Amino acid sequence: MRATAFPTLPRQRYGDDVVTGLTEFDEKLDDGVQSVAARLVEGDETAIEEIYDRWSALVHTLALRALRDPHDAEDVTQLVFVAAWGSRHTLTPSPTAFPSWLIGIARHKIADVRAARSRDADRIAAVTAGPDAHVTTLESADGEIADRLVVRQAVQQLPDPRRTIMFLAFWEQRSHAEIAETTGLPLGTVKSHVRRGLIHIHQQLEGVRR
Amino acid sequence: MTHADLDELAAIVLHPHDVTDEVRDHVASCPDCGTLVASLADVRRVAGAEALVPAPERVRERVLAHVRAPVAASQPHLAQPVSLPVGGPSLVAAGRRRRWARDVPAWTAGLAAGVALVAGLGLGRLADGADGPEAVDPPAATDRVVAAADLTALDSDASRGMASAVRSDDSITLRVSASELGDEDGFHEVWLINVDGSRMVALGVLASGNDGEFDVPMGLIEKGYRIVDISVEPDDGDPTHSGVSLARGELA
Repeated sequence: MRATAFPTLPRQRYGDDVVTGLTEFDEKLDDGVQSVAARLVEGDETAIEEIYDRWSALVHTLALRALRDPHDAEDVTQLVFVAAWGSRHTLTPSPTAFPSWLIGIARHKIADVRAARSRDADRIAAVTAGPDAHVTTLESADGEIADRLVVRQAVQQLPDPRRTIMFLAFWEQRSHAEIAETTGLPLGTVKSHVRRGLIHIHQQLEGVRR
Repeated sequence: MTHADLDELAAIVLHPHDVTDEVRDHVASCPDCGTLVASLADVRRVAGAEALVPAPERVRERVLAHVRAPVAASQPHLAQPVSLPVGGPSLVAAGRRRRWARDVPAWTAGLAAGVALVAGLGLGRLADGADGPEAVDPPAATDRVVAAADLTALDSDASRGMASAVRSDDSITLRVSASELGDEDGFHEVWLINVDGSRMVALGVLASGNDGEFDVPMGLIEKGYRIVDISVEPDDGDPTHSGVSLARGELA
């Protein structure tokens, strides 16, 4: 076993200037989320506005996909953010706090709507097919939908040029060399942005999948 | 044990040709790093979702109205905390009524100040009973005033009468004697608002003039329902608070 194979890693290989700039870029991103989380916990009403503006489309789209009803999706979105405000003290501020916390709340609200619907359905028709299997299928599909939406939201919220670079790389499947050409950025910078963008999205997803 | 840097692992996923053999070998032999690479690679798989669909602007307005007006049932399950004939405002009703959202700032005015005052002064007998029913009931004297509140207007200190909680045997009655409630159309309804700012119950209507007596369930005041509120209610069939308070005071 080579337990200590990599005592140090050659970070500077990518060029000090670029990496230093990118690190600041990352820290700024993280600090923004962390501070809005801290303000929310303290009960600052403007924090919930910011959080709503940033993550409501994610919650709304998830509810819309899961429930396939615009009216229910609106209600769920409203309930999620009102509940988020009400239980703000349960949030532990961190750079990746929000998508997982909000989606956790959203899943409960979506489940409530489904439970109400299935109660209604039960009243209308006697149970014939196994309802449990049905619910399980829907919920595992939700997980995949949630992942996809979290990725989309995380990329959409990135400041440029990282956002554009990530779209070109992941949505349009463009090579890093092509992206460098399109954006006029050095290839090394493009690669760094894609790597860090991937790590950022990965961290957001980890919380949601946990 | 030193693992490969996350940046290196991302590089394996994105541009494997840039990665040194050392890193590659380590990842091949290290389950933790291997799992991380697989997990990073999976992020690519779930990339590609279509654009998100923003919620309509009215949802934002409703959310913020709730946040700014805690009594408007920000906690839906607490909307009817006590089993009374007339419940508190329901979430759905509050959320969909624009009148509610608009009027709520007036409704909640002074609530924070009232709560702060309570925190500062303490609550004497009532506070002693807050945690346990056994403390509520000192040896009985009948018709004893256990708490009283001076009612004032919300936007000034102008007196609007008084209210007192009277214990007789095993019941509590709130005696309200209001004054100068104005002549706005509608009837006057008496409420008890919890000092937590998120719950309220309707006690009843001042049916004749400015005085009335209302039975209060035992224990309610001790649970924090100490703010006496008189609202003006339009005759619109809506059982929730109109959002327009004429007088308020805190039982102490």
